[in-house]
Amino acid sequence: MRRFIIEREIPGAGELSQEELASIARTSNEAVASLGVPYTWVNSYVAGDKIYCVHEADDADAIIEHARRGGFPANLVTEVANEFGPQSAELVAG
Amino acid sequence: MTLAGAVSPYPGAVALLEREHELGVLQTTITTATAGEGCGVAVSGDSGTGKSTLLAAAIVSARSTRVLRGACDPLSTPRPLGPFRDVAPDLGLGRMHLDDGAPLAQLCEEILDALRTEPTVLVVEDLHWVDAASAEVLRFLARRLDGVPVALLISYRPHETGTDHAARPLLGDFARLDGLATVELGPLSVAAVADLVTGTALDAERVHELTGGNPFFVTEVAKDPDRPLPVSVRDAVLARAADVSSRDFEVLQLVATAPDRLDDRVLPALDVDLPTLRRLDSTGLLTRTRGGLAFRHELARQAVESTIPPGGGASLHARLLAALETIDLPEPAVLTHHALAAHDAARTTYHAQAAAAEAIRAASHSEAAAFFQTALDHLADDAPAADRARLLQSLSLEQYMVSRLDEAIANVRATFPLWELIGDVAGLADAHQTCATYEYYNARRREAEAQADAAAAIAGDAGATLAYGAARAARGFMAYMRSDTDLALTCVREVDRTPGTVPGPLALKTDLVRDLSDLVCGDDDARGRVADVIDSARSHRWDELASTGYSQLANLDVEHRRLRSAEHVLEASLPFTVDRDIPICRHWQTGVRARLHFFQGRWSAAVEDAERVLDERGMPIARLWPHLVAALVPMRSGAPEGSPHLDHAWELAGQIDEPLRLLPVLSAFAERMWMSGAADSRVTDDAVRELERLTGAPGSEWAVGELASWLLRLGLVDKQPTPVAGPFRLAGEGRYDEAAGRWHALGEPFAEAMTLGDAPDPGLRVRGVELLDRLGAVGTADRRRVELRAEGVAQVPQRPRASTRANPSGLTNRQLDVAKLVARGFTNAEIATRLFISPKTADHHVSAVLTKLDLPNRRAVVLRADELGIA
Repeated sequence: MRRFIIEREIPGAGELSQEELASIARTSNEAVASLGVPYTWVNSYVAGDKIYCVHEADDADAIIEHARRGGFPANLVTEVANEFGPQSAELVAG
Repeated sequence: MTLAGAVSPYPGAVALLEREHELGVLQTTITTATAGEGCGVAVSGDSGTGKSTLLAAAIVSARSTRVLRGACDPLSTPRPLGPFRDVAPDLGLGRMHLDDGAPLAQLCEEILDALRTEPTVLVVEDLHWVDAASAEVLRFLARRLDGVPVALLISYRPHETGTDHAARPLLGDFARLDGLATVELGPLSVAAVADLVTGTALDAERVHELTGGNPFFVTEVAKDPDRPLPVSVRDAVLARAADVSSRDFEVLQLVATAPDRLDDRVLPALDVDLPTLRRLDSTGLLTRTRGGLAFRHELARQAVESTIPPGGGASLHARLLAALETIDLPEPAVLTHHALAAHDAARTTYHAQAAAAEAIRAASHSEAAAFFQTALDHLADDAPAADRARLLQSLSLEQYMVSRLDEAIANVRATFPLWELIGDVAGLADAHQTCATYEYYNARRREAEAQADAAAAIAGDAGATLAYGAARAARGFMAYMRSDTDLALTCVREVDRTPGTVPGPLALKTDLVRDLSDLVCGDDDARGRVADVIDSARSHRWDELASTGYSQLANLDVEHRRLRSAEHVLEASLPFTVDRDIPICRHWQTGVRARLHFFQGRWSAAVEDAERVLDERGMPIARLWPHLVAALVPMRSGAPEGSPHLDHAWELAGQIDEPLRLLPVLSAFAERMWMSGAADSRVTDDAVRELERLTGAPGSEWAVGELASWLLRLGLVDKQPTPVAGPFRLAGEGRYDEAAGRWHALGEPFAEAMTLGDAPDPGLRVRGVELLDRLGAVGTADRRRVELRAEGVAQVPQRPRASTRANPSGLTNRQLDVAKLVARGFTNAEIATRLFISPKTADHHVSAVLTKLDLPNRRAVVLRADELGIA
């Protein structure tokens, strides 16, 4: 599967309560389960008026379909080309 | 895959051929509009003629301009404001939940303001399914496009928008108004069909004959040229799904069952997965639109829907309903539609009531009534009587709001036995009270009085003091209307003595009845007190009471010839009744304004107002003045006889039987008899008798004077009775010149001319004829000419070819507004700003005003404003 970052514009997202996030997660899980194609919701980050999600699927089409079924916006869907972090410094001898 | 991309229902469903002219019209409209000069086009065509394809092609040329699309759906009762709720988020109006109960007028302004901010192409398709509130909003917008950067594009099927259709007035505007146009899409020619089937073995002539040139049908045939030629659109569509599995075909049927679209959020609950959608994409029948899955074309939807076996539809609707109930904020109108089709009576009643409540918030009263009716029709037989009574009452209120008084009355009457059954005396008294009000608006005064008396008796027996007070106040109001001021004041005193009524709307209502009674009796100070009551009611937001006050004040001002005052009252009150959505007062006050214009000799504006009330089926009580105006204006201008308006007025006056309504109707019959010379017993018997009976009735000095004047001209009485108003008394004393001067000062030129004509002095009589000619009352002037010639008066003025001197009799209401602003020295740019029109339109109106007034320039209007009565 390929990994995608999805940017969702949701005014007031930062104010969402734990209960509201739980309800959104339930809707999202149901949408994932209904797709009938390989799909993994990895994690999501609430930041100001936006939510950034990391999902895995075979194509961007499935990412859009998930958003539709959940009733979520998907303002920007970008495939993750690579990942790195502090540990990456050690991987290639300098 | 394509099911991921589309935003509009059917673009590309039909090939675009032989539409160059229509496309050009739309493209020009978009270019002009987005440059700031708003305009609109209605695309008319039957199903499959390519309306959506044409609109989509035109929008391509709009490039970066904002495009907003709203759609109307084939629900059993439409979603109130459906298309506007589609576009609200993009307009920055949120989801437009209507929870705050903003009146429709305010919503109209908000939408217009939101459209001003950037160039926009606003597309609303399928107007044949529009709801009444959306039609109102569209009409509001269509009439204010000037200077707003909006291209308003609509589409509709001409054969599904008959004369009673909610979209009719709007479509009329598109046919008539500047800046709006209609294009009609017809069938394709054989040549165009040949273009479409070129390169295939299909015979163009045969395909044309088979399809009737319907572009959708031809396109479908051309997509599958190797199959046997289908005999119908249905076959052509179904051929595309021939290879689909039965399970997938059931999904198509589910989509066909949703008349608007299958909301994406219900796909999980319906077990429709992504691979299924990918397989169905190969049929080319579906598209994604407005957050849902829909057919590319309505004809395709109908074809698939037709495959659902009898009885199979209900279970599909039930599945959809259950799925829709699991998502957030479903639309109650859509839920009602499915519950109804699923034969689920309990769900139908439940959702229909929610849909009605939403329709009320959208001021969509005809839809609200339809939903309440649906709820009532499906209410369980063993439902509590109180539920049924409340539902009936809600239904009757909405029917009243749309002038369906007979049904409103029948439904409120149907609650009587229910309230009795459960022993709810307050409910019963209230129902009689409501019935009294509706009966009165329905011009059945006696029945209204009986109902108010019943309400008072029931409430009085039960010691329900508030209900008793309300019933007596209503009875007092009706007594005032009937010039029975003694009874009116008696009722008011009773309410004042009833404990627990002060302070509140009831106390204020009794103040109003008392002050109006004083005013009608000639106490001039009472006018200020009535104005205070209106102010107080407005500040408490007791809108109906404030509006009733306005209605009566304006009517009495006109009746007693305080014409300038009446004009000021109506300028404030008519927008108020529109804004607060009080139809009875809007119609009544428009009728009063018709009579005001009529007295002022502004015939065109008078007829315009009269026709508006009659066209909109204003309630019977509000139709009296309009009928009189519609009868008398043509008569005075010399048009041939034959309109039934006087007969309608006679019938109404008989039912209402109020002196201040009856006397003017009798005057109109007398005027007709004087004009035609044909004897009429309603004049020779009724009028003579009623004049004697009603002389001295409170407030009748003007109406009595006028009737007596006509009867004098007919030789049916020999003097003016006492008391009559000043100008009549002066004429009765032979002081015609002075009386005419009074009419001149009052601003009633026709009465001035008639008074001059009554004088023995030939000089005055000739002046009277000249004045009638100038007013355009050529019919009346001709009658006077005959008289003068018969008596051998020399130098009778010739019949004019056309009105040659300035007079405002031909100005419409809009032109009068413009003329008044010109008279106050405003520039065209200032007039444009004040009237929310473009400077170009303001120029246009000002030229029309100058032409009609036959004045060379605006300075002349300023100088002669007083004389023209527009200062």
